[in-house]
Amino acid sequence: MLKQTTAVTLLNLRSIPQRWGMSLTTVLSIALVVGVLLGFMAMASGFRATVDGAGSDDVAIMLRGGAMAEMNSNISRDEVRLLEVAPGIAASPEGEPLISSELYVVADGIRRASQTPANLALRGLGLHGPDMRPQFDLVEGRMFEPGSAELVVGESVQREFEGFALGDSVRLGNNNWTVVGVFSTGGSVFDSEIWTELGVVQNLYQRGSSVQTVRARLTSPDAIEALREYVENEPRLNLEVLSERAYFARSAGGTTNLIMFLGWPLAIAMAIGALAGAWNAMYASVDARTRELATLRAIGFGGFPAFIAAMVEAIVLAFFGGLVGAVATWILFDGVSASTLGSGFTQIVFAFAVTPDAVVQGVILAMIVGFLGGFVPAMRAARIPLLAVHAD
Amino acid sequence: MNDATLVRKNLFRKRLRAVLLMISILIAFLIYGMLGAMQNAFSMGTEGAAQDRLVTVNRINFTVALPYAYWGRIQQVEGVRTVAPASWFGGYYQEPQNFVQSFAVDPESYIEAYPELVFQEDQRLAFIEGRTCAAVGQALATQYGWTVGERIPLMSNIWQQQDGSQAWELDICAIFDDADGTYPTNYLMLHYEYFNESLLFGRDSFHWIAITTEDTSQNDRISREIDELFANSPAETSTTTEAAFNAAFMEQFGNIGLILTWVIGAAFATILMIVGTTMVMAVNERTREIAVLKTLGFTAPRIFRMVLWEALLLSFIGGLIGLGLAALAAQGASAALAGFLPSFGLTWTNALTAIAFMVALGLITGILPAWNAMRVRISEALGKV
Amino acid sequence: MNATSPLYELKDLSKRYTRGKETVTIFDALDMTINTGDFIAIMGPSGSGKTTLLNLLGGIDRPSSGEVLFEGQRIDNLSQGKLAKWRAANAGFIFQFYNLMPTLTAAQNVELPLLLTSLSGKARKDRVKTALEIVGMGERARHRPGQLSGGQQQRVAIARAIVADPKVLLADEPTGDLDRTTADEILETLQLLNAEMGKTIIMVTHDPAAASHAKRELHLNKGRFEEKGKA
Repeated sequence: MLKQTTAVTLLNLRSIPQRWGMSLTTVLSIALVVGVLLGFMAMASGFRATVDGAGSDDVAIMLRGGAMAEMNSNISRDEVRLLEVAPGIAASPEGEPLISSELYVVADGIRRASQTPANLALRGLGLHGPDMRPQFDLVEGRMFEPGSAELVVGESVQREFEGFALGDSVRLGNNNWTVVGVFSTGGSVFDSEIWTELGVVQNLYQRGSSVQTVRARLTSPDAIEALREYVENEPRLNLEVLSERAYFARSAGGTTNLIMFLGWPLAIAMAIGALAGAWNAMYASVDARTRELATLRAIGFGGFPAFIAAMVEAIVLAFFGGLVGAVATWILFDGVSASTLGSGFTQIVFAFAVTPDAVVQGVILAMIVGFLGGFVPAMRAARIPLLAVHAD
Repeated sequence: MNDATLVRKNLFRKRLRAVLLMISILIAFLIYGMLGAMQNAFSMGTEGAAQDRLVTVNRINFTVALPYAYWGRIQQVEGVRTVAPASWFGGYYQEPQNFVQSFAVDPESYIEAYPELVFQEDQRLAFIEGRTCAAVGQALATQYGWTVGERIPLMSNIWQQQDGSQAWELDICAIFDDADGTYPTNYLMLHYEYFNESLLFGRDSFHWIAITTEDTSQNDRISREIDELFANSPAETSTTTEAAFNAAFMEQFGNIGLILTWVIGAAFATILMIVGTTMVMAVNERTREIAVLKTLGFTAPRIFRMVLWEALLLSFIGGLIGLGLAALAAQGASAALAGFLPSFGLTWTNALTAIAFMVALGLITGILPAWNAMRVRISEALGKV
Repeated sequence: MNATSPLYELKDLSKRYTRGKETVTIFDALDMTINTGDFIAIMGPSGSGKTTLLNLLGGIDRPSSGEVLFEGQRIDNLSQGKLAKWRAANAGFIFQFYNLMPTLTAAQNVELPLLLTSLSGKARKDRVKTALEIVGMGERARHRPGQLSGGQQQRVAIARAIVADPKVLLADEPTGDLDRTTADEILETLQLLNAEMGKTIIMVTHDPAAASHAKRELHLNKGRFEEKGKA
């Protein structure tokens, strides 16, 4: 039986070039389905990687209760003082608590690709701000001087937006700033931001002494419980305490889900279209070989080898389609930089990421299409009547 | 019987094949219709009255507030008809996840500036009169099942009252709809005065000011004059048409149009290939029959047309069903998405474009097999020299 | 038109094919006359050019040189479009393998040539009915070719050939695929059409028994005719 099956399968695969039109159509239509799916998945996982990558477990972020996003939060100077003595917070070598009060405002940047204005986050942070981002690294230039209108910009900002070269003078809002440094946080969401000292932002944007968020470096990820307990038991504090990872996971969820909720149904719809195409192509393939298959039956081959041979053909074509789609998506989209509006009303720059996991899912989808598309025609191949030997 | 009978019989010669092709075409047009509906939702508010209305925001960014006094000062600019200030409220209902798009407005001037909003007269008056009243868009009211007369606590994720509370008690006094289904009704309006008086911080400021003018041809001059009025002040302004403002905002999400175009392109490339090769194959299979028709005296152009009609018929059956399903699905989706993507639906422009695509698809997939059919040589096809 | 006026005149007719680099001459400088009302059987070995000759008479193929005249008018130099119209008006074809449209019923198959006329739907229906009755297939009008036997299919094909009332019927091995008894029935039908309705019939066959039903037998051999007169 195995010998028969192998023989019929090889005979079948060797005849593919004779039907190259339909075979190529099957491969390409499945490739397009997989391409669309992987395109959306690359967008979603790129976005998620950027946002999730920002969150670490040993940094706590505190916002006003119910604020949901930094943008809407408001914390007074007095509240910050209470937090400085909270438990669970790590200390610097000098013995100061590692916390950073932060305030960001929205500034306009010009997107290089479209030459249209887009919102950028201008974040004012405390002395220990960089300590809250474990991967922080000054790539070029130096840090800003407290009290002066100096900026350090994230790498992604420099890449996607115009006019942020080192030494450039930039007008944001009603003020002129100088770019004195470029930083990286390892591709996280903070690379899409512009940083300066907290006091400068409070001053130039008339925010008095209030801030939006307080970030604190924890002694260990578990220490967040102690901090949370302290905040809840302090009547003068109405704050929500979250690990930074939890905070970013919450704010990335919406966009990522939206991309995936769009991507999967589209890919499935297209897969049904391609399924019809594959089915059709396999019917044509079986039709074209009716006489050959009947002849094989006549000389003693069984129906099962014919069935397997047709299934193998369908799945091989689908597999190639999936592979072509995955490779094409990877060449076209992997690493492509894009930006969209994040939950804080500011741009988040991210790179499309075609992950191995997504490629596997794409190829599996392709093979499901091949399997379903090949099944009924393969059944037919197995049931070709002997009399078809005389077929015209 | 006529040529149409022959076209139909040929198309359905292999019923399963025809049905499978129709399914692929149907899917492509379904995708086209759904994405078209989505694009409409995204490009909403960049057409119609929005092109005549002006909107003034802080030049730094629309998230930065403008002083209360600007309301009165803009009123003074020559040619300005109505001035309607508004603030973001950042509302949510019960849980922070239940986001409610909401603005604090001056009811009288806002309703005047937005004539496309349709109110029942008694409800309109009640909304203007009642200090704690809110007017709710039809889509939003449907989403939460709110009715006129209900009292709801609306939480703000931005604002705080002096007593520390973040909830404003609102009476739903009016439910409004839009005149022709092209404007979103997925938001809520409350009285600016009621909102402002209890604020802990950020009092006496607005986020944007909508302006209508006596003569829209003067809009450029009026925009310029408003911005000059506040030049070199701590809160400089930027005044554009509402359409331009909305378009710039949508632009910030990234090039959604481009992504949708890629997907639609991929879907159509798929069916072009599938239908195209199958049509060529289908016509090759009946070379002999075509030769017989020619022998009987059917002329080559007539045979060409018959094959082309066959491809068009296929394209239209699949395409129209797909478009119909898309319209139905869009209707269903628009109810589910009301709070998120307002007026998700198909327009006549979408439908006409889709029909143009059906014609194009039929012609492109039909032309090669039709040409092949036309050139069938009787003596060769009948298999004898 | 009387029974002896010439329907076809072939003058100095040659047909050559190029196969690869070789030129194959099917026949050369052929002259022949076919009269109205005749029933001719063309016989000859395979490759002698029987079918090619039939194609030339039917306006399906063109000669390499020489002329084909039909009722005194040349048809060999007509454009493809004019030839198609000529065929629709003047010639009915009967093939060895019937060549019915598998998707159409017997009646619809017979109706096909009438689509090329300006007849009304009602008139077409009447003609189809008559044609099917002439060949004895009136009862099977709604059957598809797949539901009919070979002989029945050939009867439907004959009905299709006569429905537009052409002047000549061109039959290529009409009984080649049929058993003796059925073949004889078909040939008797053809004889009837010739005798009762005055149709000129030209039939290609390699079967002497079939040829014996014709009034004249022509043997095509090496590009030449040998006439076998009948008693």
